[in-house]
Amino acid sequence: MTEKEGRKERRIPQHVISKIRRHPRKKFHAHLHGLRKQYGLSKMTFFYMKEYGPRSHVASNIVKESIKILILASVLSSVGGFGLQEIQRHIIAIVPLLVLLPALADMIGDFGTIIASKFTTALFLGHIKLDKWWRSRNLQVLFHVVMAVAVIAAVYNGVLAYGIAYIKGFAFSAETFIKVMEISLFSTLMLVGLIFAISVVAGIRIYRRGEDPNNFLIPITTSIADLGSLLIFSGMVLLFFG
Amino acid sequence: MLSKRDFREILTAELISVTGGLFAGFLLALFTNQLELVPGIFILIPGFLELRGNISGSLSARLGSGLYIGALKPRFRKNRVLNGNMLASAVLVVVVSVVLGLVAYLASWFFFGLYSPDLVLIGLLAGIISNVIEVPLTIFTTFWLFRRGHDPANIMGPYVTTTGDIISIVSLVMAIVLAGMV
Repeated sequence: MTEKEGRKERRIPQHVISKIRRHPRKKFHAHLHGLRKQYGLSKMTFFYMKEYGPRSHVASNIVKESIKILILASVLSSVGGFGLQEIQRHIIAIVPLLVLLPALADMIGDFGTIIASKFTTALFLGHIKLDKWWRSRNLQVLFHVVMAVAVIAAVYNGVLAYGIAYIKGFAFSAETFIKVMEISLFSTLMLVGLIFAISVVAGIRIYRRGEDPNNFLIPITTSIADLGSLLIFSGMVLLFFG
Repeated sequence: MLSKRDFREILTAELISVTGGLFAGFLLALFTNQLELVPGIFILIPGFLELRGNISGSLSARLGSGLYIGALKPRFRKNRVLNGNMLASAVLVVVVSVVLGLVAYLASWFFFGLYSPDLVLIGLLAGIISNVIEVPLTIFTTFWLFRRGHDPANIMGPYVTTTGDIISIVSLVMAIVLAGMV
């Protein structure tokens, strides 16, 4: 068989193409699995071509699929903004708190992703026993590592926030400095501890059900991080400066 | 099992993230006077920062996947998928910014007794301004990383959250100034 004939054999028959084209984009046609195998397409390529291929409207597909979750995530973060509005007077008067805030939210969000993905990987690798997970050495080490990083990052955040505010003209006061450090440290440790506890408890339940905890833990931990960092930070500011 | 290397990597990632966040915080402190002019702006800020990071993060991830599997070429001209992505980002930012502005306006009115309809206009203007800066920056950086043999997925996440925070705050201040002129 010549190379040309070989290629002809691999060509998709016209009636099959017509059938596929008539088929709704979101439904998986029986022929598609065979075509993917025959032409050696990866699942990712196949998905991408189905989603953004020549017969699809790229922009409307993206908008339709993203708009609900974007509105939900953004409005949830705005709920955290209620806390900020409540303490607006304090965070404008005490500049280090204003400088500290975006860094705290970013940091907690990153911790959410790190804890969820590390914990799930350890579960999949069998490093955490499902029946006596609290005795797992791996889990204890993960907790210690995360908490140690959280302490260093919180101190770094507090010191630099105060330093930046000082450069901007905010007067140094030992009492305010200690309060800012306490807010940075306690907010970070409370949130990281909360995210860790939720990741472990929810992750094990989901894993026992035979599902991938990554699909649930990453969105839930980042949402808790976004909302929780604003609310706990606001509570701490009211506690120390209210 | 976690190692010293894990500790160093997590610590480095967190310190970089905190440094970027501190820069965004510094900008917030720098523009306090402008922010104080708009009652209820602190309800809008967190949602707006979240929106910017989410839109640019998803855009970068979609482009990265397309580049990686060869379905998308790293070029700006005659690129149907890229144009579709840019249009989608523009539509999403306009719609969600208006929704966020409305939520902030209604929440500040009902819960804090602050009447500030400007929040809707400020949200919309800030969304458009941030999109004009952040979307080309995200696309350019994703293509640039890919052309140099890096996987954009490893770098673009922290990059878009940090640049997104900074650009969002600058855009909000510009929007407040523009809304004051309207």
